[in-house]
Order: sequence, then structure tokens, then C-alpha cells
Amino acid sequence: MQSYVDYIEMTFQGEKDNGTLYRYKRQLLDRMTARAAEITHAGLRDEKVLYDLVISEFPDLPGDYRRFCEKDRLKRRDKYFNRLMIFGTPIVAIACVLVFLAIGFLTQRWSPAWVLVPDGILIWVIFLLSEGIRRITRQRQLFHPIARVMLALAVMCATVCVFLIAMAALHLPDAWVLFPFGVICLYAADAIYATITKQKMRIINYLIYIVAASPMVYVLLGGLRLVPWHPGWLIVPFAVLLDLIIIAGALANNAKYKYKPELEDAWNEN
Amino acid sequence: MERKLNAELWDKMHYLFRDYNDRMVHVRLDYDFEIDTETLKTVLICFFEKAPVLHSSFHDNHVSPYWIVKPYRIDDILEVSRPDDVESAADAFLTQEIPPENDIQMKVALFLHSGKSTLCIVENHMCMDGGDFKYFLKAFCKNYSEYAEKGVSPIDLREGSRSYDQVYQDFSQTEQKMAKNLYKNINAKDDHRFPLTPDSIRDTSFIAKRKISAEKLAQIKSSGKKHGATVNDMLLTAYFYSLYEIAAYNPYDSVSISCAIDLRRHLKDVSDEGLTNHTAWMQCRVPERGQDIFATLQYVKQSINRFKHDKFMGLYGLPLLKLGYSIMPHAASEEIIKIGYSNPLVAMSNIGILDEKALALCGNEPTDGFMTGAVKFKPFVLLSATTLRNAVTLSMCVRGNDEDKQIVEHFFDLMERNLDTLTSE
Repeated sequence: MQSYVDYIEMTFQGEKDNGTLYRYKRQLLDRMTARAAEITHAGLRDEKVLYDLVISEFPDLPGDYRRFCEKDRLKRRDKYFNRLMIFGTPIVAIACVLVFLAIGFLTQRWSPAWVLVPDGILIWVIFLLSEGIRRITRQRQLFHPIARVMLALAVMCATVCVFLIAMAALHLPDAWVLFPFGVICLYAADAIYATITKQKMRIINYLIYIVAASPMVYVLLGGLRLVPWHPGWLIVPFAVLLDLIIIAGALANNAKYKYKPELEDAWNEN
Repeated sequence: MERKLNAELWDKMHYLFRDYNDRMVHVRLDYDFEIDTETLKTVLICFFEKAPVLHSSFHDNHVSPYWIVKPYRIDDILEVSRPDDVESAADAFLTQEIPPENDIQMKVALFLHSGKSTLCIVENHMCMDGGDFKYFLKAFCKNYSEYAEKGVSPIDLREGSRSYDQVYQDFSQTEQKMAKNLYKNINAKDDHRFPLTPDSIRDTSFIAKRKISAEKLAQIKSSGKKHGATVNDMLLTAYFYSLYEIAAYNPYDSVSISCAIDLRRHLKDVSDEGLTNHTAWMQCRVPERGQDIFATLQYVKQSINRFKHDKFMGLYGLPLLKLGYSIMPHAASEEIIKIGYSNPLVAMSNIGILDEKALALCGNEPTDGFMTGAVKFKPFVLLSATTLRNAVTLSMCVRGNDEDKQIVEHFFDLMERNLDTLTSE
């Protein structure tokens, strides 16, 4: 064991020890001694070979230490956010109510002031969801659908939040258009997420979302009187056409990578 | 905490082949000196630690299978004995099957006899193919020698990814896209089979071998040169011709033999690759037997040349297999792949040269030896060929009976006769 200690100490000679280094060294030594025990159990008797073999399994200790530090930093950050989430939720709820009461009593304008409570809570929910999305995105793609559902919820929460301000505080008559707009944002956000995280077969998402979003665009533009209801409906067939163009483009792009070898004849000859 | 390893695409494919063969790769090397048991143990432990898949148990999880690294003792791997009859001891050892669920995937036997050694190794094909097994043996011998002579720790074994897609890494971006778009099922079905007896529960595994001498190989090489053919072409031609004869196929029938291709040909540098499988099949087809064996040779050359000129030789069907294993749980994908995959009834694997210099232990070169593929279950057959000290060993591993043994021996006689004819001109 002493030889492993010496090796570790020698590798990290001169490295500033801020506590993390000690924890890393301790963990590393445990891993090395556990491996040495396993290999000894297998029947290796030559101590020198055992030492060389174990050391060879840890070829880049400085790099490994950097990764350990990064992991440690993320762990501490997650711990901080966990605390924030646990204690922040009741604090935000109480704070929203207190601010609402304070503004209400001071200005006697209770009507728009109530928006502060649901909006405050919704903003907090959006924050919690975004933290969840961040954590899940760090994991394998297998778990990403959960993050995508959370993203959709966050977008809808944001839509409701803006809708409440537009309706109760600003009294906008066309505030309802925010809901089809929210759905469009939802599709857009998911498509962006799929692109950033390089999801497989994401082109299928794009194709579905273009067609699914088109009635919402139609209702939004019609509702805002930016486009007449007739022939504004043409937006929907136009979306289908756009899908077809994208499919044709993707096929044309794929065709560039089609390999036509002489081999074809070989397989087919009979 | 238990350590898991990913079951790679070829691991799963070879697992699927459990219906067709015993998935074992076999090697035997004879030396004119006594191998030191303690040194051998040390090198083996180091290599097993460097390649943890060798001491892992395969878990056929219905969703996604995986390996679990298992503890072991060297005595589970290595068997040392001084048998009276080395031949039968070696045969008995080599024809064993290691179940994939076993804790170790490679077994070694050292038979010591009158100052000589016979080293036999069997390993699960799911862990590595003949190409990497050859590398394993070379690294093993190099490490053994350096450890025994200079005391250098025997830890020089390649480590790295075992993934199938490593074969694409030396292609350009465009070539990679092209290769990954080769969604083609290349398994053209051919019902011509080797004339073995029907299956029986009394069948046992055996390895039939026939050695082609160094002199004969030299003749094959020089005759091949005259005909513009390689040794592989000549062997394949003799295989085809003998097959037509032994199975009495209609001479006008088109027959195919699947040949193993080492996909490492697409890699410039394999030094950062883990031990794995990178072998695919190409189907060599002759439209008819031809008037004589020289006509067969021309057909073989034509067929092989088509493949040789293909940039993506052997990479057809890989994306399809990957897709099959990705989109469905393992249990379902196995069933689907079985529908599309037809295992070749007649195949050949030219494993190539076993370099006696690279396989020397402390300066003692192997006097004899061979490597051979899995024991095939009837009606499938695989002819393996390895070259050591300029002599070719043809081998066929079959699960059959005495009659099958005779059939295979007769087949080897025909092979030899046909090779004689080929080299007679």
C-alpha cells in the first residue's frame, strides 16, 4: 500500500490542497488498494507486476483529478440547488402573498395586484423545471424525454404567466391569442432542444411540429387580424407543402451519400 | 459494486449465432521446451485484467444485454497437466464450450510432455475474433518473453473501445455518411449444403485437420502467380471444386461460399482499439462449376475481384444490424434479425499467418500449431485456414459423428487432390 501512497503523493507534489485534493487522494488510494486486492485474489504473486498493473489502470491522474473536481463542483451546486428548492418554495409562496398584501394595502388596487401571487409562483415553478431539465439533460439520452416533458410544462407555465399579466393587469382584449402562441413556442422549444441535444431522428419531430403548429399560427394571425380567416387557412396546406419540401431536401441530401459500387452486380448475379 | 460492460453489436450477433455454432475460437501451439507455469500465470492474470471482458459473464437482458465483470482465480483459467496422450487431451480441451453466462470467457491448458509443451486456448468468439485473437497471442508471447527474460511487467495489451463503429473512424466525414447509409441485407440465401449426416443427440464436437506442407504451399503460391491468383483464391477454388464433387451438386448450379473479412482493413491504426470482433462475411459466388478446376478458378477470381475493388468491403448490412438492435428491445430485435439473417451453410475463414517469430516464447518458436473457428452445428460448416512455418493447416470443426468425420476427411482428400491439379500446370 505504501508504494501506492508514494505514487499518489509524487504525482500531486506541489498541487495546492484545498480539501478536495485530500478527498480525491483518499478515494484514489481506496480504488487502488481494492484493485490490488482483487488481482491478488486472482492469484498474482509478483508484487512489482501487481504494482505496475494497478498503476497502469490509472494512467492520467491529473486529468482524473480535474474530472473529480468538476464532478465535485456539480455535486456541490446540486446540493445548493436542492436546499434552495426545499427552502425556497415556501419562502417564495409567503413572499408573493406578502408583496401582494403590501401593494394591495398601500395602493388599494387589489384587482391587478393579485396577479403577483400566481405569477410569482409560476416563475418559481419555471425555475424549478429548468433546473430539472438541466440535470436530466446531463444524463443519457434515454432520460431526455422526461426533460422534454418538463420543457413543455415550463413553456406552458410561462404562457399562463404572460397571459395573466396581459388579461388582469393590462386588460388586453386579444390576450387569448397567447395560448395558441404558447403551443407554437412549445413546439419550437422542443425542436430546439432536440437539435441542441442531437436527438436521433429529430427530423421527424420537425415535420410533425410544422404541421401541428400551422393551425395555431392560423388562429394566432387570424385572431390578431393580421391575416384574414379566408384565405388564411392556406397556412395549413402550406405547412404540409413545407414538410414535403423538407422531406425532398433530406432525401436529396441523403442521395449524395449513397454509394453505388460495382458490388451491386455481385450480389444480384445469379 | 459490480462493474458492467456494454454488450457491443458483434457480441450480440455472436450470441445470436448460438443456434448455429458453439461460439468458441480455438488455438493450439506446440513448443519444444517446457513453458514456465508461474510466468504463464502472471501473464494471463495481467491480460485478463487488461481485457475485463475475458472475466465477465454475459447477461441476456431482454431489453439490453450486458457483461458483468466477475472475480476469478487463475486456476479457473489455466489447467496444467502432464497427460500420457497429448493429442487426445488437447482435442478434449479444445472441443469444450464455455457458456456465455460463465464467469470467465477464455480457458487455457498447458500440456507438458517430455520436455515439450502444448498450449491450447479456447475463447468465446463474443469477446474477440480471430484477428484480435492473433494479436492477443502475439502480445502474450512478447510479454511472456520480456517478463521471463528481463522482468518487464507483462501489461502491454491494447485497451480501448470494443464498439463496432470503430471501423468507420479512419473514413472522411462523407465516407462515414456513405458507409453508415449502407442499409443492405447482403445475405443472399443459398441452399447448397455440405453433405453431413442428419443431426443426432449422440453427435460430439470434433476438430478435423489437414496440413498442407510448406513445399506444397510454395507450389500453390507459384502456380497462383501464373494464374494471377492469391493463395486464398487457390484454396477457395479447391474448396468450391471439392464441394461440387463431395456433395454431387449439379455442375451448372451456382454455388456460394461465405468468406470472413477482417474489417480492420479499414483502420489505419488499431492501437487504441479494445479486443473485439471486426469480422464480416462476403459471399463468393461461382455461376457454375466450370469445365475444369481452372474454369472454377476464373469464376472465383472474378467474384473476389469485385469485392476487392469495393471501398466499403464488408461494411454492408452493419447499419441495418445496428438499426435492428437500436430500435427494439434485445429480445424482439433478435427475432427480427433472425428473420432477415440467413447463416451461411458453407463458409471459409482464412485466418492467415501465425508468425512463428512473433509467437516465440523466450526465443523458442512454435514447432506446430493452428487456429480455428467455432464448432459448427450441422448443416453449417466452416473451413478455417492458418499458416504457420509456411505450412497451411486446414481445419473444420463440426458437431457430428464418426461418419461425419470420415466425410470431412474425404473432403480434405479431395481438397488436396484438387490443389495438386491446380498446381500441376
